[in-house]
Amino acid sequence: MADISNKTEGLADLLLGSEAIGRGALEGGVNVVASYPGNPSTEITEAIRQVAEKMNIYVEWSVNEKVAVETAAAASFAGLRGLSAMKQNGLNVALDFVSGISTSGSNGGLVLVVCDDPSGITSTSEQDSRPLARSLDFPLLEPGTFQEAKDMTRFGLELSEKIGRMVLFRSATRLQHARGRTLLGSLPEEKRKAHFDTSKQYVAFPSLPRHVEAKERMAQAKELCKDSAFNVYEGPENPDLLIITCGSCYLYALDAMNLLGLWDRVGILKIGTVWPLPDDLIKTHMAKNSRILVLEEVEPFLEGNLKELAVEWAADVSMPTFFGRRTGPLSDTGELNPDIIITALTEILELTYEARPPAYDQQAKAMVEKLVPPRSLALCAGCPHRASYWAIKNAEVLDTRDGFVTGDIGCYSFGLFPSGYSIMKTEQAMGSGPGVGYGFGKLGQFDMQQPVVAVVGDGTFYHGALPALVSAVNNQSNLTLVVLDNGATAMTGFQPHPGTGLDAFGHPAKPVLIEDICKSLGVRVEIIDPYDSEAATQKVLDFMNDEQQGPRVLIMRQQCALQMARSGKLYDVWVDQEKCVGEDCGCNRYCSRAFKCPGIMWDAQAQKARIDEAICVGCGVCAQVCRHEAILLKPLKAVQGKDS
Amino acid sequence: MENKAYIRGQKELREEVHDTGLCTGCGACVNLCPYYATSRDKTVVKDLCDRTAGRCYAFCPRTPTDLEAIRQQLFEPQDLTPELGAVKGFYLTRASDPDTRSLAQHGGTVTTLMSLALSEGIIDTALLAEGGGSDLPSGVAVSQASEVSKLAKSKFIAAPMVEAFNKAVLSDAQKIGVVATPCQTLALAKMKMKPFPKNDSQIGKLRLTIGLFCGWVLSWRSFKQLLDQKIDQRKIVSLDIPPSKYKTMQVETNSGLVEIPLDEVEACVREACKFCTDVTAEFSDISVGSARLPDGWEVAKGWNQVIVRTTAGEALMQLAKDRRVLEFREVPGGNLDKLKQASLKKKRTALDNLACKSGDRDDLLYLDCRDPVFQTFDW
Repeated sequence: MADISNKTEGLADLLLGSEAIGRGALEGGVNVVASYPGNPSTEITEAIRQVAEKMNIYVEWSVNEKVAVETAAAASFAGLRGLSAMKQNGLNVALDFVSGISTSGSNGGLVLVVCDDPSGITSTSEQDSRPLARSLDFPLLEPGTFQEAKDMTRFGLELSEKIGRMVLFRSATRLQHARGRTLLGSLPEEKRKAHFDTSKQYVAFPSLPRHVEAKERMAQAKELCKDSAFNVYEGPENPDLLIITCGSCYLYALDAMNLLGLWDRVGILKIGTVWPLPDDLIKTHMAKNSRILVLEEVEPFLEGNLKELAVEWAADVSMPTFFGRRTGPLSDTGELNPDIIITALTEILELTYEARPPAYDQQAKAMVEKLVPPRSLALCAGCPHRASYWAIKNAEVLDTRDGFVTGDIGCYSFGLFPSGYSIMKTEQAMGSGPGVGYGFGKLGQFDMQQPVVAVVGDGTFYHGALPALVSAVNNQSNLTLVVLDNGATAMTGFQPHPGTGLDAFGHPAKPVLIEDICKSLGVRVEIIDPYDSEAATQKVLDFMNDEQQGPRVLIMRQQCALQMARSGKLYDVWVDQEKCVGEDCGCNRYCSRAFKCPGIMWDAQAQKARIDEAICVGCGVCAQVCRHEAILLKPLKAVQGKDS
Repeated sequence: MENKAYIRGQKELREEVHDTGLCTGCGACVNLCPYYATSRDKTVVKDLCDRTAGRCYAFCPRTPTDLEAIRQQLFEPQDLTPELGAVKGFYLTRASDPDTRSLAQHGGTVTTLMSLALSEGIIDTALLAEGGGSDLPSGVAVSQASEVSKLAKSKFIAAPMVEAFNKAVLSDAQKIGVVATPCQTLALAKMKMKPFPKNDSQIGKLRLTIGLFCGWVLSWRSFKQLLDQKIDQRKIVSLDIPPSKYKTMQVETNSGLVEIPLDEVEACVREACKFCTDVTAEFSDISVGSARLPDGWEVAKGWNQVIVRTTAGEALMQLAKDRRVLEFREVPGGNLDKLKQASLKKKRTALDNLACKSGDRDDLLYLDCRDPVFQTFDW
């Protein structure tokens, strides 16, 4: 990642959207950054973290998003500037506190950056977070360019401080992960000290007068944003069609305009201060246009609000024809791109322009199919989660009571797919594996006979599983909880969590061990290495059949295979092709087809299995899977099953 | 019509047998490959296999089977009877050794014959069931004659003996003897037909099959639940079912005899047993069951009825006679007829049940309605 602490004002840098937000936070004098990782938000905090120590900024990866916002809010209450970044799912975790601070107000500049994920590319939803700004009375900023990403973050901190309210800042995947030219501003010299003014209260109660006050602050924000440079019109004085857009759709719209050569016919009004809307500016442009196309990700938030305004103004502004995600021709789901916008424009303006030849998609697919072998979403070679799922799958089969797994979010979500033997049957939110599993464990009085294994990652255990586990103890739910402990928040890039014993900077922190928590709750807890396949299977079976009341926790502990790839293989692994049965009855490629580790290849020439040395991390589990002793191991270092 | 003995793969085995309640849990599909296991009285599919033809399907006693072809191959035509399969001889026997008798369920004939086969080197490995009652039984391999009598009680829950056989053939064992239920002897017989000539699972190592008379076996989970309601299971010494007129299961415990009404026990019968036509284990070398005598149950339960079916079986019986390890008593007139009637009764019930299940009297699922035996009686 780029070093975002460059002091040269006016320098043009090529920054990721997430780096630009980080730089904006530095320029805005941020003091405390507390976040929870989650794509596409993670790099914002990472960028700041890299320069935080030298700039005396406190950065932490909090235990969850709610604690993250609370931490940043405390800084604000103490007169500092705070920022918290998270993905849209994380905002939901934080929402109770976010709702509270909407009425309690804040002090020092406080920005909550939420990164949405249109099309849900790396998420369980494509939730649009913007309507929250309206329902909870927060100003909402949405950058359309990399420059704006930086400038708006700084502006957001300033605006927040002026109106005493947290500001929502909405980014999305494409902006976060693309690079663009960004002119750097100055870094502040001011060193703030934390002090809480005890003459003040930041409380959410009594709610009605607080709500009235929030509305007043929103009116103030509207006034402050009314002439904002983040709201720009480009185009002819009286266009045939007005595009009103916000966020990353702005750049798509520019592409479309340039490709179609529409600058003499179509205008673009880009809104950066998305809530409260700059009414006067919009009214001026709406009055000049009979047709309006609204471009936004993903819900028709802007479109709906514009229509509401159009109805309000019906007496003095003639009602335009709207196009958008609600009215069409755009879909009301999925991410937009320049091609989709070009297609919409040609339809509305009756142009002939083919964004792509009609058969382009099929041709591209056919070409790709020739070049790339088909692959399903899969756990990495040697992933301990695969070994754990193999053991859990086998235990559930051997148990014969039609058991299943409740799970949640992390690399281990691949338990949904063939790579994880499709054993995960519920998956909703961080910690919902234990939560839903806990619920199943209370269905005994309705003759629930199936054993339920709830899985949760180590990071997620701290993040969202503890209340469910406490409830399971308290209400004696018949729950087998398996913690898939790979010693890392692996999916988002190895951020520390309370169990790792490290802080965000890699400095020692006091570890909070899962087994200690479980012991303190009085539950049966054991630790096992999932690489020890048969023992792990038997242990899961034993836990599933524990007739003691209440929950029990099995920690399946083995370091992430990516760490293993860095630290060196446990074993040299190879196939004795003389012993390999191949596709014959008695095996039928059991190692690659049933166990599915991508480190095992099919040697088409020999019609035998082979190990892909390039990606095998030498976990040795496949040697236990092969019944013909055809997969052989040579230990390369002291096997340290229970390290990490 | 298609020959009944076609071979398909795991998908069809699951659809036609495992998922339909026909699976007997014999374990014929287990230990051939990593895809199956026996667990808690069930044959389970651990992983999906996409082979279109597999030994699992070929050996299963509940996949389409040409019984007549097996009879023609394994037995001498003049020995064949419609009711009981091949009968070379019919005897009432018991172990000469009183210790063997005291440890055995009834007359101790099976124990004696297996011990004899081991000590005479006819076999080097005997596969017997261990456990039973509310415990899960399993097949164990024994190579010493003295170990056989320790495993001599009726189980009422079937141990997956064919699974044990599939395991034993991979070991150093060269000459294997198996004690098996009728469905298990059918699986072994199907292996003897070598439907997979390239990969016959070394069936040549099977030298002796002693079949057990079997009306049905119990489902472990249901039976365990029933026993849980009645008895502290740690106290159980043995289980027995006297002739049907008693209508009870007798459970001998440390603190005395407990009787469970047979209706309650029969509610626990394994679903697959309703579709079995074989009470006397027709596809074995020697079949053994409890005796019926005019002297009453107290005497009869000390004896066995034995059907010798093959020359190998005949030779072993002769040896037992010569070595005086078995005592023989005269078979009362009518005993064989009674057994034939009992056998026909089971065949009729099973065929009716199969026709009922398929909804078509011409479709007997794994059996062939054109089988000559099924033409000899009304059902």
